Amino acid sequence: MTLAVILIPFLVALLVIFSPRGMAYALALLSTFATFICSLFLAGSSPLSRQWIPGFGSYFELSSVGAASVLIPVAALVMIPTVYYAGYKVVERTSGLLALLLAMQAGLNGIFLAKDLLLFYVFWEATLIPSVLMLGIWGREERRQAALKYLIYAVAGSFLMLISILAIKPLSGAVSYRITDLMATTPNLATATQIWLFIGMAIGMAVKLPLWPLHGWLIDFNEQNHVSGVADVAGTLYKVGGFGFFAWALPLLPAAAQSIGLLFLILSAITALYAALIATTQTHLKRFLAYTSLAHMGIVGVGVFGLNIAGLNGAVFLLAAQMLSTGGLFLISGMLYERKGDFDMTAYGGLSKSAPALAALSLFILFTSIGVPGLANFPGEFMSLMGAFQTYPWVAALATLSVIAAGVYGVNAYQRLFQGEQKEAIREIRSAEFLVLVPLLAGILWLGLFPSQSFEHIDEQSSLLTQQLEQVDATPVKLAGGN
Amino acid sequence: MSAVELAALAPALALLGALINGLFGRALKEPLPGYLASATVGLGFLFSLFAFFALQSMEEPSVHIALWDYLKAGNFDLSLGFTIDTLSVTMMLIITGVGFLIHLYSIAYMHGDSGFSRYFSFLNLFVAAMLILVLADSFFLMFIGWEGVGVCSYLLISFWYTERANADAARKAFITNRVGDVGFLLAMFLTVFAFGTLNIHEVNELALAGAVSGGLITVIGLFYLLAATGKSAQLPLQVWLPDAMAGPTPVSALIHAATMVTAGVYLIARAGPLFALSPVASTWVAWIGALTAIIAAFAAFAQTDIKKILAFSTISQLGYMFVAVGAGAYWVGIFHVFTHAFFKALLFLGSGSVIHALGGEQDIRKMGGLHKHMKVTSFTSLIATLAIAGVPFFAGFFSKDAILAHVFNSELIGGSKYLLYVLLLVTAVMTAFYMFRWYFQIFRGEERLSEEARAHVHESPALMTVPLMILAFFSVAAGYFGLPEFAFPNVFSHWIERSVEAPVSFGHPSVGLEWFLILLSVAAAALGLGIGYWVYAMRKGEPARGDTGALRNLSASGAGFDALYRPLFIRSSEGLASGLSSLDSNVVNKGVSQGAGSVGLLANVVRWLQTGYARQYALFMFIGVAILALVVALNGGLS
Amino acid sequence: MVPTEYYIALSSIIFVIGAVGVLTRRSAIMVFLSVELMLNAANLALVAFARQWSVAGAATALNGQAAVFIILAIAAAEVAVGLGILVAIFRYRSSTDIDALSEVRL
Repeated sequence: MTLAVILIPFLVALLVIFSPRGMAYALALLSTFATFICSLFLAGSSPLSRQWIPGFGSYFELSSVGAASVLIPVAALVMIPTVYYAGYKVVERTSGLLALLLAMQAGLNGIFLAKDLLLFYVFWEATLIPSVLMLGIWGREERRQAALKYLIYAVAGSFLMLISILAIKPLSGAVSYRITDLMATTPNLATATQIWLFIGMAIGMAVKLPLWPLHGWLIDFNEQNHVSGVADVAGTLYKVGGFGFFAWALPLLPAAAQSIGLLFLILSAITALYAALIATTQTHLKRFLAYTSLAHMGIVGVGVFGLNIAGLNGAVFLLAAQMLSTGGLFLISGMLYERKGDFDMTAYGGLSKSAPALAALSLFILFTSIGVPGLANFPGEFMSLMGAFQTYPWVAALATLSVIAAGVYGVNAYQRLFQGEQKEAIREIRSAEFLVLVPLLAGILWLGLFPSQSFEHIDEQSSLLTQQLEQVDATPVKLAGGN
Repeated sequence: MSAVELAALAPALALLGALINGLFGRALKEPLPGYLASATVGLGFLFSLFAFFALQSMEEPSVHIALWDYLKAGNFDLSLGFTIDTLSVTMMLIITGVGFLIHLYSIAYMHGDSGFSRYFSFLNLFVAAMLILVLADSFFLMFIGWEGVGVCSYLLISFWYTERANADAARKAFITNRVGDVGFLLAMFLTVFAFGTLNIHEVNELALAGAVSGGLITVIGLFYLLAATGKSAQLPLQVWLPDAMAGPTPVSALIHAATMVTAGVYLIARAGPLFALSPVASTWVAWIGALTAIIAAFAAFAQTDIKKILAFSTISQLGYMFVAVGAGAYWVGIFHVFTHAFFKALLFLGSGSVIHALGGEQDIRKMGGLHKHMKVTSFTSLIATLAIAGVPFFAGFFSKDAILAHVFNSELIGGSKYLLYVLLLVTAVMTAFYMFRWYFQIFRGEERLSEEARAHVHESPALMTVPLMILAFFSVAAGYFGLPEFAFPNVFSHWIERSVEAPVSFGHPSVGLEWFLILLSVAAAALGLGIGYWVYAMRKGEPARGDTGALRNLSASGAGFDALYRPLFIRSSEGLASGLSSLDSNVVNKGVSQGAGSVGLLANVVRWLQTGYARQYALFMFIGVAILALVVALNGGLS
Repeated sequence: MVPTEYYIALSSIIFVIGAVGVLTRRSAIMVFLSVELMLNAANLALVAFARQWSVAGAATALNGQAAVFIILAIAAAEVAVGLGILVAIFRYRSSTDIDALSEVRL
């Protein structure tokens, strides 16, 4: 199972490139279903470990213990409607796009599963390729500038990250790049060394997260991607940034995390508040969505850098949950664009009248996005903020203010699109489009109402991380609820 | 499943109704969704009644029903569960009882509306969320219900969404409530910080056991107070409620009068022991309540919209409840919630009946003399008016008097209580005055109807008048559950205090003084009604009409808070947001593009090396290899 | 037995000839041949070392020779591809002057 979730999409992607459109579509859909089913059995599936590059001490080691068994199923669930929607909405070079979507999935799953730092980096870089290609080939008019900007950010960040990654093993004297070996030795590094290594890794990850002020690529990236929104759903790499911190940077360099984590926490809080405020002013639907997802990522950052088990669990959970809400909203933006050919929200209005079901679904997902309890994002948001509050109350309180701005942008967007005088009637949602949203709705309700299982999985990984953090100095990290 | 546990099904039932109406409502023929929705709430009411009777014969004060483990992180545990005790059952009875009547009423009121099934779906969803709120065993689950009712309120205020004003009102309500919600969130974060749990019972126990310092409790209390001011429309977050009248009138009756807005009072009563331990926080609660009460009463004077007067009166009455819970008299606060639910719902439904009869007219200047056209509405409205004005033997009298007496005797809120008492007494006079105006301008005096309305006017159908009559009955009868304690048996206080065991004490002045206090509140009601009679019945409203000064404008604008907040919060935050927006696109992004430009400069330098001549590249390679070889050699070879 | 140094000296001379050829000749064919010379210089050095170490132990003796075989195979492949490219270029512009081939420059 562990290997299957990478291999299935990867191999099918290879097949899909050379298949004619219809067959490519069928194959790709089949692959997403197969991957999803495999991903459901990830928890408890046996890990995999082979020597990979013995000269470097690198292993091909995959394990689904921890966050992976939450993130991968959710990502796989999102992938089903995405591929489904892409196949019937994107007409130009469909096979290529489908192949890239699957390749993206394979790479992402690799990132989540890798337990060897070099392997992780290889997957990390591998996902960049489909992501850039999707933007560069299927994007809108100014895709080249957007792609270039994205590449500069990503490559510059990754380069610094690579330096840290290459340096960490010889400096710490670990016997291999496996996380277990690294975690045994890296805490012994001097704090100053750790900070340097951490900064290198953190820049690469902060670009992806993205943290203010390294978020510049995201807005253009989303604005210029294909109008159907499928590339935004699958190709936006910010999922991996927070995960990178959670799974690698923090556990490997705990002393650095303790000493300069606060800086990143403040940046995250700024990101959350800043993006949520800007989102209230946006009238371009996709830019709006870009800023809302940036705001979510800010909260993920707050949860991660709170360095508290409640916050860490919440942050990873929010990463998973927002895939559903942000994904759903991007797909809806594609549906709206198909009907009116416009992303300008002020051109819409009163659509509840002609498309009540579409309006209801949009409102549902918008409410998810702004963290209404009972829906997917809320447990993540709540725990992220609450966890961070236990360690740094002021910063967390600042980030909590973004909840107000979230309310503003949520109802603003809904009002602009669906309320008021109807300017022009649009077609009600088709059953095919409805099917696109159904898996997302199911996921949203499941995560929102019964998050305990997911939290248990995440907890397996974050408890290791907090142990690592606690070893740093005599004063243990304050756990939520522990006095 | 015991009879008590059956009550836990009530929210599920309402949720089921909401789902059916939401998903298949369009396929159902018109009255059916209404009856379906009413049935789910009615059944919920029955279940609540079972629980009510079962609780009376029970030894233990509450029944806990575990739902499911929500999440766990480290040693922090969140599990969902319901607490069924006397307090929550009382609220359930109000919600489902009044809710049931309002559902029935709505079937006639919403007749022919294109969103008929949508309306009942939202209304049912609201009942479900509200029940979850009151049944919650933890602040966390309460917050789920808290946000749920906010969402439903948003949906129902903007029910007629094609009009921009309605959508704007809904947005305002939602955002203002979000400010309160942040208070709730921060209060919960602090609660976890201090107590390590969000379970209300455990928090109360720990607080009573002295596990947490008083200062921290005060801070927590103040944040819960912020949350409560949002939902219950108290200063400084009261601005949304008058606008919320944009929703259908039965919605105003159920959500914005009888149930949702009392959630703040309920929250403070639930956390009673916590507040009782912090005189500072309690004093804040009381002062916020008293100031809101008097300011809102003042704002009600110059309103001309039939529902806006009631909206301000709701805010004002909620202020009374806040003073009660602030003074530590938790059962009194809930008692006023209880009586207020009946007479305020009745007032709103009466207004709805009038609006319905006049074909949508809401301006009381264009009403008058409706008594002869709609006798039932008029009589029931009169009962409600007398009840809210605090006329003896009506329900409002008993609860209001209990508040006044308890404020006077409170030992929790220190020396300022006499000032609070005076404020509330003045507010009582004002209340009686503006409510008299409301009733008289609508039902008595000369007819000022437009031609159109006159042709349309009629008494409402039985489906609307029967709920009015039932509510009118309770607007009188509800008061007798909580007669003044010093002279009469008081079942309500014993009932509620089984659930809220807060260490508060009240002074016991002489019986003579108690009677004197009662006399004072009777006098206040009489004075207010008397002035009202003089101004509107004898002088035909002339004294009021003559005054067009600043005071009148201030009152008409809801005491000017909107005008104050617009530049202070709305414009400033909009300015900040658009400033950040241009900063983001012009500086942050451009800055990085400039950074990319400097990469270009570097590229120009490197480009000079890229001549394109293969032989030159080869030369570079050789040089490079030579240098490497040299380095290796100088370092003593490879091994 | 001829000392290994002699082989290395010869190998170096051939390598330098090849290098100079690469750097100075403009004809692509000549550059190509010079590259082959350099490869063969390396081959010579490899077999020479292989012979020297084979005295010490049989196990490592084959390492150098194996490398030579790899290089020979690569060289053969390279000739096939390289000459093909050269022919194509010659057909396209009827010259093999490599200094003229600088279109890649921006």
